[in-house]
Amino acid sequence: MDEFQEILQDFLVESFELIEQLDQDLVELEHRPEDLDLLNRIFRVAHTVKGASSFLNFDVLTHLTHHMEDVLNKARHGEILIDAGIMDVVLESIDLMKALLTTIRDTSKDEGIEVEACVLRLSAITNGDSPVDTPVTEAASVVEEPAEDEPDYANMSDDDVEAEIQRLLEERQAADKAKREAKNEAVEEVEEVDYSNMSDDDVEAEIQRLLEERQAADKAKREAKIAAGEDVPDIPDTNEAPAEEPKAEASAPVPAATPAPAAPAAKAKPAEAEKKPAPAPTATTVEQTIRVDVKRLDHLMNLIGELVLGKNRLIKINDDVEERYEGEEFLEELNQVVSIVSLVTTDLQIAVMKTRMLPIGKVFNKFPRMIRDLSRELGKKIELEISGEETELDKSIVEEIGDPLVHIIRNSCDHGVESIERRLEAGKSETGIIGLKAYNEGNHIVIQITDDGAGMDPDRLKMIAIDKGVISEKEADIMSDKEAFGLIFRPGFSTAAQVTNVSGRGVGMDVVKTNIEKLNGIIDIESELEKGTVMKLKIPLTLAIIQALLVGVQEEYYAIPLASVLETVRINKDEIYTVENRSVMRLRDEVLSLVHIADIFEVERVFDSSEHAYVVVLGLAETKIGLIVDTLVGQEEIVIKSMGEYLHGMDGIAGATIRGDGGVTLIVDVAAIMQMAKTVKSSVTAENGAGSGSSREKTQPSDYKVMIIDDSKTDRKIMTMALKPLGITLVEATDGVEALNILKSGEHHFDALLIDIEMPRMDGYTLASEIKKYNRYKSLPLIAVTSRSGKADRMRGVESGMVEYITKPYSPDYLQNVVKRNIKFTFAQESAS
Amino acid sequence: MSDKLQQIINKQQNQMTPGEENMENIVQLVGFVVGEEEFSVPILSIQEIIKPIEWTRVPRTPGYVLGVFNLRGTVIPLIDLRLKFGLPSEAMTENSRFIVMKNATETAGFVIDRLTEAIRLKKHEIGPAPETSMQEKSMIEGVGKQDDKILTILKVDKLLERDF
Repeated sequence: MDEFQEILQDFLVESFELIEQLDQDLVELEHRPEDLDLLNRIFRVAHTVKGASSFLNFDVLTHLTHHMEDVLNKARHGEILIDAGIMDVVLESIDLMKALLTTIRDTSKDEGIEVEACVLRLSAITNGDSPVDTPVTEAASVVEEPAEDEPDYANMSDDDVEAEIQRLLEERQAADKAKREAKNEAVEEVEEVDYSNMSDDDVEAEIQRLLEERQAADKAKREAKIAAGEDVPDIPDTNEAPAEEPKAEASAPVPAATPAPAAPAAKAKPAEAEKKPAPAPTATTVEQTIRVDVKRLDHLMNLIGELVLGKNRLIKINDDVEERYEGEEFLEELNQVVSIVSLVTTDLQIAVMKTRMLPIGKVFNKFPRMIRDLSRELGKKIELEISGEETELDKSIVEEIGDPLVHIIRNSCDHGVESIERRLEAGKSETGIIGLKAYNEGNHIVIQITDDGAGMDPDRLKMIAIDKGVISEKEADIMSDKEAFGLIFRPGFSTAAQVTNVSGRGVGMDVVKTNIEKLNGIIDIESELEKGTVMKLKIPLTLAIIQALLVGVQEEYYAIPLASVLETVRINKDEIYTVENRSVMRLRDEVLSLVHIADIFEVERVFDSSEHAYVVVLGLAETKIGLIVDTLVGQEEIVIKSMGEYLHGMDGIAGATIRGDGGVTLIVDVAAIMQMAKTVKSSVTAENGAGSGSSREKTQPSDYKVMIIDDSKTDRKIMTMALKPLGITLVEATDGVEALNILKSGEHHFDALLIDIEMPRMDGYTLASEIKKYNRYKSLPLIAVTSRSGKADRMRGVESGMVEYITKPYSPDYLQNVVKRNIKFTFAQESAS
Repeated sequence: MSDKLQQIINKQQNQMTPGEENMENIVQLVGFVVGEEEFSVPILSIQEIIKPIEWTRVPRTPGYVLGVFNLRGTVIPLIDLRLKFGLPSEAMTENSRFIVMKNATETAGFVIDRLTEAIRLKKHEIGPAPETSMQEKSMIEGVGKQDDKILTILKVDKLLERDF
């Protein structure tokens, strides 16, 4: 049973791979119905699947593929010409085949799918239809011997199959010699071409000869060459015979059996044929690969993530050590090791990332078929031009990107490309072109979807949006053209007058937006009326390890995925305006709505005296927003970690990461923030008026507050006495820990702190550096009052963030003056002095 | 691993059949104090107990969710049991600990005021939760009677369940 499962697995993997290429080939085939290389490839798929499925006892699948094979076999023998009608049936049968394979994958059985109708149609083509079809084509091209032609080919097909199997076997043996094959091919080709002009009997004899020769010949080189030769010729064998003979005959009415006169005509073809088969050998040059379970790769990626965190930490420690032991010899060595580790980690990370990369062609492959179906359905002529399908991106992203692209392309077909009449009226060619292109840009991959259709009219979009209640008229007024294009992504928005099979429900583009947001991607739309639309999806290359911008608000830090950061600007607070209760600012020629990160994350804004603010301009999908933060810390590579089920899906938080210092930093969910910004109450501008902390207006001396921190009661008394005449409010604390707690409680807003150095629990230096860790106390004056008067002590005081250093004993006046200066005391001193 | 699991299952099965006074019938608990009261949880649901370390606030969570902390590379939620039990918040002291508890799906740290002791209770010494707290919502698994004092045994699954 296990063995069977194993074979089944291989069969499924192989079949799905074959089918992937199939759709594209089939659509191409419709354009070039005589391309036998293509036909053979398609035939081979049906044949392979048939063979394997009959071995595995999948009767329904075998039944279906058998009939497909019949049709394709006739087609490649030129007995029927593939037209759109036949193609529809073939495509239908391929769909059924896919469905069957999926069923087999899920249930290990090929039941529950009705194939009989399709099989009947297929056999109708092989039996009934073909005489209707073929005579017409043949009568047109074949002048002399239509009757003689057919049976001959039928006889041949058996040999053909045999040769085919033989060839497949040898192809594998010769894989490593593929290059040489390619070279030899051209030469071989000219030789082989002669066969095509031989009579069928001759051809058969020739094949016989070749087979014998092959058996007799010594292995390697010979076989490789013949295999290569065979690859093309046994296609031409049958292919050029029907396809070309008639032409040769038509140009020179000499019997095809004489090779000489046909040669010139045949020579022209090989040149052409040469181009087509060329990719075939390269496709068979299988690179050496191993199949690896994706779970293992995921695990590897997780481990690398841990390593990156370790590296970050190492760098941080290295910096600290450098500061502390400046000039020490071992530092250089440490430096070297750290740089090597960091370098190797980065390389390793890139290497592992690459193993997870898939070409985007995997996704693109299904679109030619889709466009074909859509254009038939919509009665338009549309062609798809694909480029950059070899561009690679992370597997998880490849899986996510398919759906959005389907919707965008459907949209382009339905709304973008006009009907044939309209196109002709507008002076365009009747065939609309949709371009699908992928390329790398920095750490992103850009997928660009273009159409040469009608383009979008921003004013019309706005009108419809207002009609449908998606936006208000006021909003419409301030909307830029780009924002108006963005309206198509709003749920419930559709420009289609009626709901069709293809579009009009107002759902599809919403899906696009959601999925792209999930990937931290950006959508950019450009459209010009009557010229067409260009849509760009900018997606980060990978999801697990990302570059982030670290920002600070009060004493908290947050990481914003750099992929969503468009730019950062430093502004004056008076550049912020309020429109309809929303904070906005002018950014060049745009109006950018603003939201303060503290409002989103409910950060208590205790201290905020700075006149400047930093605005991080975030862009996601098609929207932009400005996020106000207190500080910009820098850029760092972070690894996204889940916060567990317990805290999963908290608003605005995408996850957490561990920083170099071992602390946890939360990662901002940009998409959620944009949503939250709409409802969150804005206090961006309110703060200017009310203010808090030191910015509060002082109307009397007692509005000033100073904390005295000293473990000696006497010393506290002395200071209190000295400062009493000023009339300011004094708060006392007995050591660093208590002072810190008072400060943190936010109950008081201090204008200055007087700190003793020698204290139990937490000394003055530690207290000062603790306080300075908090953003909001950056400008709070700390004054040391101590009996330590050494120069080293003073230095330490400065290092820990003290602004003044008063040595005991001191005169009351001196203390008063220092305090007054530091709290910017503006009142005349009370008459007591 | 599966041996261990088997043992646990055996033990639990044995606990369900009261009366047998063998070793298997003993429940091991870890006792701790939150506020004025002593609570306990089964030792098997405790991953580890650590001294308080730095944590990061997570916005938009109820007050008792203090945030998340880094436990050797894993980000773990931190819950203050004082606040969870409706007691006033108090600064952490020398004796405060984070008890990291886990069940099949979830791991979280809980702040407690101080540890007491490891307790062995016989199955028959554990009574059901008081009538008033018999509802679904109750966090109380049962009440242990030990010499002169009463010990509340908490439901770990309930503690680890997100209720917001």
